[in-house]
Amino acid sequence: MCEADRIAIAPIGAARSLAGIRRSPVALGISMARLARIVAYEPDDMTIVAESGITVGKLNAAMAGARQRLPVDPCGPGMRTLGSLIGAAHSGPLRLSEGTSRDLLIGVRFVGHGGNLVHGGGRVVKNVAGYDLMKLMGGAFGTLGIVTEATFKVRPIPCDYCLTVVPYARAADAFAAACILNDALPLSNLDILSPALAAGFNSTSQFLLLAGFSGSPLEVSYQAGRIRDLVGARGEILDGDRALSSYELLRDIDFHSAPLAAQIAVPPASLTRVLETCGNDIEFRAHAGSGVAQIILAGEHSAEALAKTIARWREVARSVRGNLRLIAAAPAIRDSLEFFDTPNAGALALMRRLKAAFDPVGIFNPGCFVGGI
Amino acid sequence: MSAIDRKLLDELGEIIGAGGIVSRATELKVYECDGWTVEKRAPDVLILPRSTAQLSAVLAALHRRGIAFVPRGAGTGLSGGCLSLNAPAMICTSKMNRILEIDFDNRRVEAESGVVNLHVTNAVKSRGYFYAPDPSSQVACTIGGNIAENSGGPHTLKYGVTTNHVLALEVVLPDGEVVELGGPAEERCGYDLVGAVVGAEGTAGIVTRATLKLMREPENHRTILAAFPDADTATRAVSMIIASGIVPAALEMMDQLIIRAVEEAFNVGLPLDAGAVLIIELEGLEAGLTSYADEVAKTASLAGASSVRLARDEAERALLWKARKRAFGAVGRLAPNYATQDGVVPRTCLPRILRVIADVSRRYELRIGNVFHAGDGNLHPIILYDEREPDQVRRAIDAGREILKACIEMGGSLTGEHGIGVEKIGEMPLMFSPDDLRVMTELRHVFDPMERSNPGKVIPQPGACVEVAAPRRQAPI
Repeated sequence: MCEADRIAIAPIGAARSLAGIRRSPVALGISMARLARIVAYEPDDMTIVAESGITVGKLNAAMAGARQRLPVDPCGPGMRTLGSLIGAAHSGPLRLSEGTSRDLLIGVRFVGHGGNLVHGGGRVVKNVAGYDLMKLMGGAFGTLGIVTEATFKVRPIPCDYCLTVVPYARAADAFAAACILNDALPLSNLDILSPALAAGFNSTSQFLLLAGFSGSPLEVSYQAGRIRDLVGARGEILDGDRALSSYELLRDIDFHSAPLAAQIAVPPASLTRVLETCGNDIEFRAHAGSGVAQIILAGEHSAEALAKTIARWREVARSVRGNLRLIAAAPAIRDSLEFFDTPNAGALALMRRLKAAFDPVGIFNPGCFVGGI
Repeated sequence: MSAIDRKLLDELGEIIGAGGIVSRATELKVYECDGWTVEKRAPDVLILPRSTAQLSAVLAALHRRGIAFVPRGAGTGLSGGCLSLNAPAMICTSKMNRILEIDFDNRRVEAESGVVNLHVTNAVKSRGYFYAPDPSSQVACTIGGNIAENSGGPHTLKYGVTTNHVLALEVVLPDGEVVELGGPAEERCGYDLVGAVVGAEGTAGIVTRATLKLMREPENHRTILAAFPDADTATRAVSMIIASGIVPAALEMMDQLIIRAVEEAFNVGLPLDAGAVLIIELEGLEAGLTSYADEVAKTASLAGASSVRLARDEAERALLWKARKRAFGAVGRLAPNYATQDGVVPRTCLPRILRVIADVSRRYELRIGNVFHAGDGNLHPIILYDEREPDQVRRAIDAGREILKACIEMGGSLTGEHGIGVEKIGEMPLMFSPDDLRVMTELRHVFDPMERSNPGKVIPQPGACVEVAAPRRQAPI
C-alpha cells in the first residue's frame, strides 16, 4: 500500500536509534511494540527466536532461569529492541569476548518490497544454505526492509564476573596497560573512559581502565592474580554485585541523548593515537581491544564549528583506514552534518544497486543512510 | 564450437603469459570436478592469474564476449561448487598465494585468496596466534574457497565460521571492476557487503584478497574421549554437557560403524565394543580446565558413558583428531562407494534424527555410518553402497533425500558447511519460499546481473526441477 502511494516508512522500536539521526520525520512510522513475543526458546539448543519489537532486556530476562543470555550489551537493554540492535548495529563492552549481533544473528524474517515476507538463515547454529540475508539487515538502519523476527545464538552466563578498575593520569598509559592485559588474558571486556565519563566511578579526573573477566571461581581467582601482577597495586578489583553494577554503569553510558556523539572504528592498535589526534576537548568510552570508541564533544559550539570538528574526526579515522558515524546530533544542527562516511566509489555503487533491488520504490527509511540512500 | 576461440586465447595469453593458460583437454581433465565427483565436466580453458590486475583484465575480456566463468580454489569443495556448468572458462586462484601482511598488533592478516588455509596459521603460530576456521581439508583448501563456501570445521562450536573472521575483501566483479569491501576496522561503513560475498559460493565475482582476524591461542586444552553403549545415549550426553553451561571448543561424535573403520585404518585405541564415542575438546585457562574436564567426565558418566578417557599428551590428542578428520577416508575401506550430506538439526533433535537415520538404513537396506559435529547439530551421515548395482544406487539417493527432508522438518538446514553448489540445489525449495529465493536472486544480480560468475549454483531456476542423476559421493579428505 505504501509502495503504491510512495509513502516513506520506518520501523520504530523504542524510538531512539533513528530519532537521533533522521533529519526529517518519515511519513509513516511503524511501531514494532506489538511484535514483541518470544517465538521459540530451547535452552539446550542455545538459540532463541523472537519478534523484533521485544527489548534485549526482556529477552534476557526470559533466559535468565536457564542461565543464558544474548551477550550483546547496548546502552539501556531495557529500552533497546532487537530490531534496533540489528538495524543500528548497537553493541557494548562485551563485544570483545562475545562479538556483536553480526556474529550471533543466525536467522531473520523481514517485510521486503511489495509487502513480501522474506526469510534468510534458520534456527540452527551452523547453516550455509542460501545467501546470508542476516548480514544485509545488520547495520542497514531499516533501509532494505523491516525486520519482524530474529533468531540468535545465545551463550551461557559465566559463573562469576569481576571488574578491574585502574586510574591513569594519561590516556596513553591506560591504553598501554590495556594492550598488555589483552595480550595476557581472555578478558570479557576492556574499556577506557575519559575523566568526565569516569566521574560516575568515583575517579578523580583521571582516565579509567575497566577490564572485566569471568569464568569459574578458579579461573577468576587466577585471572585476578595475573592482573594484579600486570597492573600493580594501583588498581581495584571489584567482584559480585559491585562488579556487576559498575559494569552496568559502563554499559549504560548514554551517548544517544548527547547533543553530538559519534562512534569511531579503527584498527585496535591505532585507537590511542586516533583519540589523541581528535583533540583534547573530547570525552570518550573506548572498547580498547576492538578499536571502537564513542566520543562526545565537550562544551558549546556553533553548528559550523561542529561540522568542521566532525570533518576533522572523520579525516583522522580515514587516515588509518577506519570510519566514523554519528550516533546522535541535536535537531538544530542535523542539517549541516553528514551522519555516515561515504564508502569508496565501487562499494557505494554496489550499495545503491542493493537499495534499488530491495526497495525499488524507495519507501524504506529513505534519505538517512550512506550516500543519501 | 566453444566460445573460447583462438583470438580470445591469444588475448588471455597476452594478459597473463602463456604459462597461465591451460587449454589442452588432457590437462583440463584434472579440473573436471571437485570433491563431489558425481557430475564431471572439464572447462574449455583454465586461467591461472598471478595478480588482481591480471584477473581484472581477464574478466573484462570475458565480459566483452559475454562468456561465463567458474572460480576455483583448491577444488576440495564437497557440493560441486566449482563444477564447470554452463561456463566455458575456469579461473583458478592457486597462483595468487602470497600472505601480504601480518599485523600482530591488530591481530590481522592480509592474504591473497589462493593462500592455503593452514598456511595462515603456520605463519603466525610462533607468536601464539591462529586462524580459527579449520575445515578437515585445511592442508589443501584455500582462503578464497573458504570465503566462497563460508567454511566451518570442528572448532566452529567455539569460534564460529569463516564469516566471523573476515573483515575486508578485494573482489573482482564479473565485468572486471575491482572493488574494496569492508576494512580493517570492526565496524563497517554502509551495508555489510563483505557478509554478502562470504558464502555466496563464487556467484558474486572472484575474491582476490582478504583481511582476516587472528585469534590468540588458548593457554591449554583437554581432549576427552567418552564411549557410550549406543548413539542415542551419546547424543543425550551432548545435550547434558551443553546444558551444564560448558561450551567446549569442539564436540564430535562417531558411531560404531565409523569407530570400527577408523580403528582398522589408524589403530588409535577406540573402544571397539562402543556403540558411539564423543571427542570433547575444552580449551581456555589452565586454571579452570581440570575442573571443567572433571565436570564433563562426570556428566558423560551420568548420561550413561561406559568409559571416559582424557588424552594423556599432545601425541594422543593429535591421534584422536587424526582419527576424526580422516574418518571419511577410513570409510572407503568398507564399501566400494559412499554418499554423504551435511544436514543440520537443532542440537536437541540429534537423538530423533539419528533414529530416523537408523530407520532409513533398515528400510533401504543400506549401511549408514555417522561421524559429525554433534555440538553444532551438523550431521554427516555416510551411506554405503555399490555403484555396480543400479538398485543400490537408487536406494542411496532416496535414503539421502529422506534424511535431508527429516532435517528440514525438525527445523534444520540442508547444509552446515559444505554449501549448496549443484548437489543440493534441487532441495533449496524445501527450505526457502519462492519469495525468499527471488530476493536472493535480486541480491546476486547486484554483483552479477548477467549471472556469469559461477552460473547454475546455489539458487534453482524458477520452475526448474533439478534431478540428481547419481548419488552424492565424497572424495576422501
